[in-house]
Amino acid sequence: MATTSPSLAPSRVVPSRRWRRFTKEGGAEILLLIVGLLLVWSIISSIIPNPSRYLPAPLVVFFSSGELIWKGLFPNYVGQTLYRLILGSILGLGVGIPFGVLLGLNRTVSDMFYPIMNFFQSISGIAILPIIVVWWGNSEKTVFTVILYTALFPIAFNVLSGVRSVPRIYVNAMRTLGASNYCIVRDVILPGALPYIATGARLGIGFAWRAVIAGEMLTGRRGLGWWIFTAQDTDHTDQVILGMLMIGCIWILLDRYALRPIEADTIQRWGLVQR
Amino acid sequence: MQAKLVVQGLTHHYPDEYTGEDVHALDNVSLEVEDGIFAAVVGPSGCGKTTLLNILAGLLPYREGHVKVDGVDVHGPGPDRGVVFQEHAILPWRSVARNIGHGLEIQGVPADERQRKVAEFVELVGLGGFEDRYPHELSGGMKQRVSLARTLCSNPIVMLMDEPFAAVDAQTRITLQEELNRIAIATRKTILFITHNVDEAAFLGDKCFIFTRRPGKLKATVKINIPRDRRIWKDLINDSEFTNHRDEILTLVREEVSTLGDD
Amino acid sequence: MSTIQELSIAVQRRFGRQRLRRIILGAIPFVTLAFLWYLNTANEWLPPVYIPPFASVWEAIFLLEEECMGFMDALTMGSGCMFTNHVFSSLGRVGLSLLIGLPLGIAFGVVAGMNRRIANALEPLGIFANSISGIAWLPLAIVWFGIGTATTIFILLNTIFWLVFFNTLLGVRSVPRVYENSVRTLGGSRWNVITQVYFPGALPSIVTGIRMSMGFGWRALIAAEMIGGDSGLGFMIFVSASEYKVEEVFLGVLVIALIWMFTDRTMLVPLEKWTIQRWGLVWRPS
Ligand SMILES: Nc1ncnc2c1ncn2[C@@H]1O[C@H](COP(=O)(O)OP(=O)(O)OP(=O)(O)O)[C@@H](O)[C@H]1O
Ligand SMILES: [Mg+2]
Repeated sequence: MATTSPSLAPSRVVPSRRWRRFTKEGGAEILLLIVGLLLVWSIISSIIPNPSRYLPAPLVVFFSSGELIWKGLFPNYVGQTLYRLILGSILGLGVGIPFGVLLGLNRTVSDMFYPIMNFFQSISGIAILPIIVVWWGNSEKTVFTVILYTALFPIAFNVLSGVRSVPRIYVNAMRTLGASNYCIVRDVILPGALPYIATGARLGIGFAWRAVIAGEMLTGRRGLGWWIFTAQDTDHTDQVILGMLMIGCIWILLDRYALRPIEADTIQRWGLVQR
Repeated sequence: MQAKLVVQGLTHHYPDEYTGEDVHALDNVSLEVEDGIFAAVVGPSGCGKTTLLNILAGLLPYREGHVKVDGVDVHGPGPDRGVVFQEHAILPWRSVARNIGHGLEIQGVPADERQRKVAEFVELVGLGGFEDRYPHELSGGMKQRVSLARTLCSNPIVMLMDEPFAAVDAQTRITLQEELNRIAIATRKTILFITHNVDEAAFLGDKCFIFTRRPGKLKATVKINIPRDRRIWKDLINDSEFTNHRDEILTLVREEVSTLGDD
Repeated sequence: MSTIQELSIAVQRRFGRQRLRRIILGAIPFVTLAFLWYLNTANEWLPPVYIPPFASVWEAIFLLEEECMGFMDALTMGSGCMFTNHVFSSLGRVGLSLLIGLPLGIAFGVVAGMNRRIANALEPLGIFANSISGIAWLPLAIVWFGIGTATTIFILLNTIFWLVFFNTLLGVRSVPRVYENSVRTLGGSRWNVITQVYFPGALPSIVTGIRMSMGFGWRALIAAEMIGGDSGLGFMIFVSASEYKVEEVFLGVLVIALIWMFTDRTMLVPLEKWTIQRWGLVWRPS
C-alpha cells in the first residue's frame, strides 16, 4: 500500500542524507533491536540466581576473554578453526568440482550416480564421525574427513546440475567448429556451470562450517567449537556465550563479504544460464 | 438526486523519505459521478490518477478534502467500491471460479448461491469452461476479465478501474472495451475508469475528466452523449460525433503533455 | 518367453520407460557397493572392526532388541527394546519440535513479513540466529537444561524455528502488495488478508523452509544427541563407537540415512513440487 505512517512525515529538521538512508533501510530498527536485546539480557541476568553460571551479563561476557586474548590463545583458536574450514573447503572444492563435472557430462553416468550421492548426502558428516573415529581415532585426519564429506556432496550436486543445465546447442556449436572434448569442457561447460558451482561452493562451505564446530566438539581438537565446549565443562558460561557470538559473527562476515559477493559476481558475469 | 461519487477539494501530498520534500500529487480536485454514469479520467502519466483511485478505494488515507460514495464518507476499503487494478491482482492460488466468488466468500454468502452468481458472471465476461483453471494458465486479457468479474460479482455501488486494459495487446483491448461497454449496459453500474488512452476514454465515457500534469487538477470535463448501444468500434471509428469528442480530449491532453518539458 | 516379455511390458507401462531406466541405472552403484561389502566380508581386506559384515549389522538389531517383549513392548518403549527406543526417541523429538516450531515460525514469519519495520529488525536477527543455530548452542543448552531430552529439543527447535521463520518472512515479503489491496477492496478483514493472501502466497517458501529445517534439524539432532543426549540414534552411534561396536554404529548410520531419505522423498519433495506447480508460482529463496 502506498501509505506511509505519519511518524515519517517530513519534519522541520532535515537530517543528513546518510542518516535517512540508514533509517530507510532499517538501520534504526536493527539498532533498537540490538539495544533492546542487550537490555533484556542484562535485566534477566541481574534477576536470576547464580547468573555467572546460567546467563552472565553482557559486559561480563565482553570482558571474559581479556586474559585469553592476552595470552594469545583466543586468536589461536579462531585461527585453527578457520584453517580447518578453509583447507576442508578447498579439499571439498578440489574433489567435488571435477567429480560433478565428470558425472554431469554424460547423462547415463549422472542418472547412475545421482541416487547414491543422494543417499550419502543424507548421512550427515556428523553421523559418520563415529565410524571414522573408530578408524582413525580423534585425529586431525578425522576432522578433515568429516569436513570434506560434508562439503563434498552439496558441491558435487550443484556442479552436476550446472553442467547439465548448459544448453546442448553450445556444445554442438563447438563440435561443429571441431573442438576437442577438453576444449568443450574448458570453454563451454565450466563457464556455463560456474553460477551453479558458486552456489554449490557457498552451500558446501556453509555446511562445512557447522561440521567444523561439531567436529571439534566431538573429537576434542582445539578450535572455537572445542573452546565453547570445554568452557561449558569448566563452568565458564561467559566464554561459552562469547564463543557462540563469535561463531555467528565470523560466519556472517564470511558469508556477506566473501561468499555472497563471489556468488553474485559469477552469476552476473558468467551466467550463460539466466536464473 | 445526489451523485453516487462525490469528491470535494481533494489534495494529496506524498512525503518523500529520501529527500524530505514531499510530492504534491493532487491539488484541490472536485468531481461528481452520477448514478449509472461511466466516467473516464485521462491525464498525463504521473498526474495522480492512481492516487485518486487509491483514495477513492480507501487504500490511501487523505487529509484534505472530502470523498463520499453514495452519501457516505470514505474511510478505508469496503465492498461498496469494487476496484479493478492496473496490474493483474487476481490471486494465483485460487482457481478462476474461486477468484470470482472471492468477494461473496468474504461477505459470507452461502456456497450454493455463490456458485450460481459466479456462473452468471463467468458467462457475462465470456470465460465459460475456464472456471477451474488457475491464473497462470490464462492469457493477460483473460486475467483482466477475471478481475472484472470478481469486482462485478460482489455487486459494488461504484466500480473503480485503473487502466485495466493497459497491459493487453491492441486487438484484445478493442474486444475488452466493447465487452465492458456491453457489461455497462447490462449492469448499469456507476464506473470511474482511469486511462491515458484518449480513444478509450472517448469510446467508453459518458463523461470525461481531463487532469493537468502534476500536481493533478481537474482541467476540463467533456460530456459525450453517444448512446451506449451505438458504441461499437466498427461504426464509431468514422462517426463524426465520436471523432470530434476524441479530438477535443486529445487537444486538452496534448497541452499538458507538451508543457511537461518545463518541469 | 512370452511371460517374461509380457512382464517386462507391464513393468514398463507401470513405471514408464524413462523412470524404469533411471531406477535400474541408479540401482547399479548400490548393488556394486553391496557386492564390494560382501567381498570384503569374505576376504577380510579390511578387518570387521573397521567394516563389519552385513550379517552382524543385521543381527545387531536383534541383539539390541533381545529383551524386548514383542511389538507392543516396542511401541510402548519398554526398557528392553534398545534399538526401537532410540529410533522412536529421535523421531518423537522431531515430531514434537515440528509441532511446536512450525506454527510458531510461520506465525512470527507472517506477522513480521507483513510489517516492514518488524521485518527490517528481525531479518538480520534471523540471519544471525541461523548462522549460530544448530550445534553452537549446544554448550549453553547443556548449561541451561543439562544432558537429556530438553537440550536436544532445544537445539532442534532452535534450528527449525529460525529457518521456518526466515523463509516465511521472505515468502510473505515477496507477495505483491496489490493482492492485499485487492482483497481489502473486496471487503476482506485483516484476518482474511493473512489467511487468503499472505499465507498462501508464502506457502512455497514456507514449504521450502520446512524442508530445509527438516534437513538441518535432523543433522543437528543427531549431533545434539551425541553430545548432549541420553537417548536417540545419535546417542546410540556415539556410545557404540566408544565401545567399538562398529556394527551398531553402521546400523545407526544406515537408519539415520534411510529415515531422512524416506521423509524427504515421500513427503517433502512432493509437497514442494505440488505447491509450486499447482499455482505456477515462481519463488526464489535468497
Ligand atoms: N507511494 C508514493 N510515494 C511517493 N510518491 C508517490 C507514491 N506514489 C506515487 N507517487 C508520486 O505521485 C505522483 C502521482 O502518481 P500516480 O501513481 O497517481 O500517477 P498516475 O497518474 O497514476 O500515473 P500513470 O499514468 O503512470 O499510472 C507521481 O509523481 C509519483 O511519483
Ligand atoms: Mg497509475
